[in-house]
Amino acid sequence: MSKTPWLILMAALAASPAAAHVYLEGKQATVGASYKAVFAVPHGCSGSPTVKIRVQIPDGVIAVKPMPKAGWNVDVVEGQYASAYDYHGNKLTSGVKEVVWSGGKLPDHNYDEFVVSSFLTDSLKPNTTLYFPVVQECEKGVSRWIEIPAEEAGPSHEGKSPAPGVKLLPKP
Amino acid sequence: MRLLAALATLLVLVGYSTGASAHAALISVEPTSGSLLQSAPKAVELRFNEAVTPGAIQLIDGAGRARDDARVTTSGESISVAMPPDLPQGTVVVSYRVISQDGHPVAGSVIFSIGAPTATKPPANADGRLNALIWLSRIGLYLGLFVGVGGVFFARWISRSMAGMGAPRAALLVGLPSAIVSLGVLGLDLLGLPPAALVTAAPWTVAFVTSAGPALLVAIAAMLLALMALGRAWHARALAAVAFAGVGLSLAMTGHAATAPPEVPTRPAIFFHGLAVAFWIGALAPLAALLSKPTPAVLPLLNRFSRIAMPVVAALALTGLTLAIIQLEKPSALVETSYGLILSVKLALVLSLLGLAALNRTRLTPALAKDQRAAPALRRSILFECGVALGIFAVVAGWRFTPPPRTILPETPLAIHIHTDKAMFQVLVSPGKAGVDDFVLQLMTGEATPLKVKEATLTLSLPERGIEPMERDAELGPDGYWHVRKVELPFAGRWHVRIDALVTDFEKVTLEDELEVAPR
Repeated sequence: MSKTPWLILMAALAASPAAAHVYLEGKQATVGASYKAVFAVPHGCSGSPTVKIRVQIPDGVIAVKPMPKAGWNVDVVEGQYASAYDYHGNKLTSGVKEVVWSGGKLPDHNYDEFVVSSFLTDSLKPNTTLYFPVVQECEKGVSRWIEIPAEEAGPSHEGKSPAPGVKLLPKP
Repeated sequence: MRLLAALATLLVLVGYSTGASAHAALISVEPTSGSLLQSAPKAVELRFNEAVTPGAIQLIDGAGRARDDARVTTSGESISVAMPPDLPQGTVVVSYRVISQDGHPVAGSVIFSIGAPTATKPPANADGRLNALIWLSRIGLYLGLFVGVGGVFFARWISRSMAGMGAPRAALLVGLPSAIVSLGVLGLDLLGLPPAALVTAAPWTVAFVTSAGPALLVAIAAMLLALMALGRAWHARALAAVAFAGVGLSLAMTGHAATAPPEVPTRPAIFFHGLAVAFWIGALAPLAALLSKPTPAVLPLLNRFSRIAMPVVAALALTGLTLAIIQLEKPSALVETSYGLILSVKLALVLSLLGLAALNRTRLTPALAKDQRAAPALRRSILFECGVALGIFAVVAGWRFTPPPRTILPETPLAIHIHTDKAMFQVLVSPGKAGVDDFVLQLMTGEATPLKVKEATLTLSLPERGIEPMERDAELGPDGYWHVRKVELPFAGRWHVRIDALVTDFEKVTLEDELEVAPR
């Protein structure tokens, strides 16, 4: 009998890290439509305040515009796309590959969101998960939310620091 | 005795002049054993802790063929084996057999892979029959030196009587051929040749250039002199004394112990240890023979022997202890190494020998003084001592096959190879046993080109023993490999190894595998 509270506590502890990742608000997105990606940052790196958030934009995601944020500088890193994309009649061959928020300070005990507006092209495969690797830099230490599970591994086979992902739905 | 002092002085000088030498041990190998290389190295460099003479060096290539076109060059402590230019991909084995300065062969293998590992195996080189021959000839040699020469010395200097010389004479006749056989089988062992090769000159010449060659010549000379001293009265005492000194000299010239640094104490210690053994053991057979037909002269002889034997046994124990401490380095080696186990058995036998000697001195000899009929009991006890002594010879001859703990170095590291489409990691774990281990991570792309990474971490867990993942950051060494030093692996078992290599800020390659860690 006396073991039960412990089991509950252990179960709670085991479950809590999953909620403590940097993750994408909203579980689903539609291919061939615009997508507002909201990166939720629930904590710092082992207690240290967050000072920089870097998001890598995967191939097939274009027209990326980060939302400015009070107290933070926002920069983008541009580069060549793997292939050309048609966007409102224009051929796009290059664009934003990485978005960086820096210069701010998010204490460990606060929560914040970092927002990017984008368009998910038809080249993305529906019914797969689209991952946005994130590097969270803190005053002390770095957390890399960059693990992308191998294709054969199911969603239960989740790594220690998974990349934020969103389930892609086919165009209606 | 003045002669002995002169010889001892000479010995100390010999000890000074030969410099540091010991049982050779491999210090480093380039490329590291277990490595996975992109292309064939120009040469394999073996570095030892002392100058060595190459015996047999064999190269087996990735296709499993023994190659005879590997050129071997030696300079002092290093041996370089030039690789032929047309080495195929796969696992290469370089097996070496070198002669260390104590006259013993040191053998091992270096294994590395070019491109990808294949199933090349190092050659099996333990020849049971040859080892038995080495062991038996060594026992024969000890019999000749200790029972033979020691017995003659006892007859000429202590008992002044040639009665009971049957056993020493037989021991000398066994010892002489044993010494010659020892030399031949040493040569075979050094070159890794079959016994049939004894008819060729090669094993003999190789054996002669080692320290064992001259040492065995001195042993043969000592036994011949003892035979001469046995046969005639002319200068017999001088001959016996020189032969006796030769026993110590021969032992001090070669072997693990004689060449252990610091040599200044070890060589004289071996010398006196050998003399003390010859004095004590040599006396046993003649004494037993004299007691079988006891005369009134036996008792004063026993008393005289017993008086001299006391300090001799003390010297024996002191020198033996000194050598044991130098060779073992720590008491736990007594049970943890085969060398130490042999020493433990020897010590047990020596203690029983001392017990018998004490019994003879305190009980049986005084009993004989009172009553002539006590002679058979003393004789039985001495014969028993002879048996124990033979046991000690047999045990000590086994040392030839065990390196002393001070020379034992980490063995070939444990290597695991993890290969996926993306990357290919070679993980070297030395010593690969439970305890404290060093890890080397060799990271390559799927095409076997070096993989440049920003960070590498090693994560180890042992779920079966409840050891949760422990994470350690690796450091990039000047050799281009990532190192994690002094990792505590508290238990043997199937450890789970995970390596995370950060290729870019956003990309990580993770490979996992199992690692079988041997018990300590």
